Amino acid sequence: MIPVAQTITTSQEVVLTKPGKYEFSITKPGVELSISGSFRAAGSESKKVSIIIRHQAPHTIAKTKLHGVVSDKAFLSFWGKIQIDPECPDTNSFLTERILLLSPTARAEAVPELEILTDDVKCSHAASISSIPEEQLFYLMSRGLSRKKAEGLIVAGFLGVE
Amino acid sequence: MARFAQKHTTAFTPSQDATYEHGYSSSTAGYSHISKPGLSQSVVSEIAEHKSEPDWMRQFRQKALVQYQHMQLPKWGADLSNIAFADIHYYLKPTDVQSKSWDDVPAEVKATFDKLGIPEAERGVLAGVKAQYDSEVVYGSLKAAYAKDGVVFLSMDEGVAQYPDLVKEYFGKLIPAGDNVFAALNSAVWSGGSFVYVPKGVHVQMPLQTYFRINSPNAGQFERTLIIVDEGAKVHYSEGCTAPSFSSGSLHSAVVEIFVKKGARCQYTTIQNWYKNVYNLVTKRAHVAEEGEMIWTDFNMGSKVTMKYPSFILAGKGARGETLSMALAGEGQHQDTGSKAIHLAPYTSSTIVSKSISKNGGRTSYRGLVSVGPKAHHSQNSVICDALLLDPESRSDTYPVDKVFASDVAVQHEATVSKIGDEQLFYLMSRGVNEEAARKMIVHGFIGDLVKKLPLEYAVEMNRLIDHEMEGSIG
Repeated sequence: MIPVAQTITTSQEVVLTKPGKYEFSITKPGVELSISGSFRAAGSESKKVSIIIRHQAPHTIAKTKLHGVVSDKAFLSFWGKIQIDPECPDTNSFLTERILLLSPTARAEAVPELEILTDDVKCSHAASISSIPEEQLFYLMSRGLSRKKAEGLIVAGFLGVE
Repeated sequence: MARFAQKHTTAFTPSQDATYEHGYSSSTAGYSHISKPGLSQSVVSEIAEHKSEPDWMRQFRQKALVQYQHMQLPKWGADLSNIAFADIHYYLKPTDVQSKSWDDVPAEVKATFDKLGIPEAERGVLAGVKAQYDSEVVYGSLKAAYAKDGVVFLSMDEGVAQYPDLVKEYFGKLIPAGDNVFAALNSAVWSGGSFVYVPKGVHVQMPLQTYFRINSPNAGQFERTLIIVDEGAKVHYSEGCTAPSFSSGSLHSAVVEIFVKKGARCQYTTIQNWYKNVYNLVTKRAHVAEEGEMIWTDFNMGSKVTMKYPSFILAGKGARGETLSMALAGEGQHQDTGSKAIHLAPYTSSTIVSKSISKNGGRTSYRGLVSVGPKAHHSQNSVICDALLLDPESRSDTYPVDKVFASDVAVQHEATVSKIGDEQLFYLMSRGVNEEAARKMIVHGFIGDLVKKLPLEYAVEMNRLIDHEMEGSIG
């Protein structure tokens, strides 16, 4: 698949809706980029999202959030990379990848990478893969919701990426 | 430099050699055998001949050599294109026998270990010591109390000769020769290393220590360690490494296999401080059974290139693994380190904490894998990587992979990269601390959590080494 490459020169918010390969290069100082995406994989689907965020100018900010829910026998992969070129001081970049597994046969992969060649940066990434904690389900069920409905609510909340 | 920084006029910059205190070497003239540079079938047979090895081991070596010759260097990770494989001496035998007393060790060799303070530490705080000089273990001891408990602490060569059945059962089973190119190389030409067996229920209170020293130029050191911790037993094994400051490169490629049985615990500590000409390419793996616990404490400061990812396979219910990894990369160094956690059984948990510091154009990389298999329900893993960059020329990378094939698990990964903040420096300096001391304080705070987990004498040494490395690093 040919990656969707974009050069970012103005501050903007990008919402990803389809799996695939994405590349964002921030080339102008002072630009703030925010990327979010939520994905569901069900049945026997296999979805892959790959994203590269390149900081090629000083004083830039990027915030990337990917959320995913996997059910049945599906597979979901998040591959993300933050690259900060040399001589790009005052860069802030954050990458979050969260995946919720709803069935015992669901599979997931999260790869958050960092390549940093400048020292004046604040950069972090976080990834998690987990199932719905039993306590959360119990809380909602103790208030009269069925298990299915409780699960539905938690998933909706999880995918409502801010 | 921060504009509020204190002025200083120190013009003297010590050369690289002056900052490395273990850079001395002694003559190799007294060696009993030095193989010709380069690797061939005859070099492998020569090694086996010197060791009068049984047939199965000779076959194992020859098979591994063939595998090695058909394998390629990895295309990922650090740059290995400058290793002069043809110039390396694959076997350097300094003495004919391993000594039980320091008095029997050749004077030059003894002087080296004296300078490193080994005999002194042995008397005070260690249960047993092995000292390896180039390819062979030249000295070995084990306190009588532990020997009485049935603890076995031998060089790997002695292990093959004295415990053939045990060695045959476990040797090369966790890291087969074909595992990766350097495991194949090690399997073909291995020499030295430790063989440790701790019987059921025995707790070895003091650490067992092996000290690795490269002495010759263009040396290849290929130690092989096998540790078996039987049910309910407990042991702490540690290793230290140094090398002289030669301009030509040396190669150190070890294989360490550890079997942690039911309810047992093993801690393996490495303080790696090779000179900045050594390629350190090591494979380390532990197999952990039910309720067992494996802890890797891995500190990398020296070497030109290190590629090392200590891993644990949590194969029994409730097994636990932990890796504490610290890397410091200065000029011309690349520390490509990390850890692998393979969860195969239910209720297993693991933690990986990695801290790295890059300075003067050095590069640190964290490379890790967390894999939770289909049967590992109710497993937990958390990975934390923090990196500190001390100047604009340095580089830090994080390459983690998380794979989950089971539900009811919690896998977490967090990483941060930052520099020493101007506001942090300002805070300390406004209280009368000078910039160098403030920087040291922040660095000590950054790695403090990890250093605390080391035995006291190492923690002191570690702090001292970091101060030493940080000296004059203000730009």
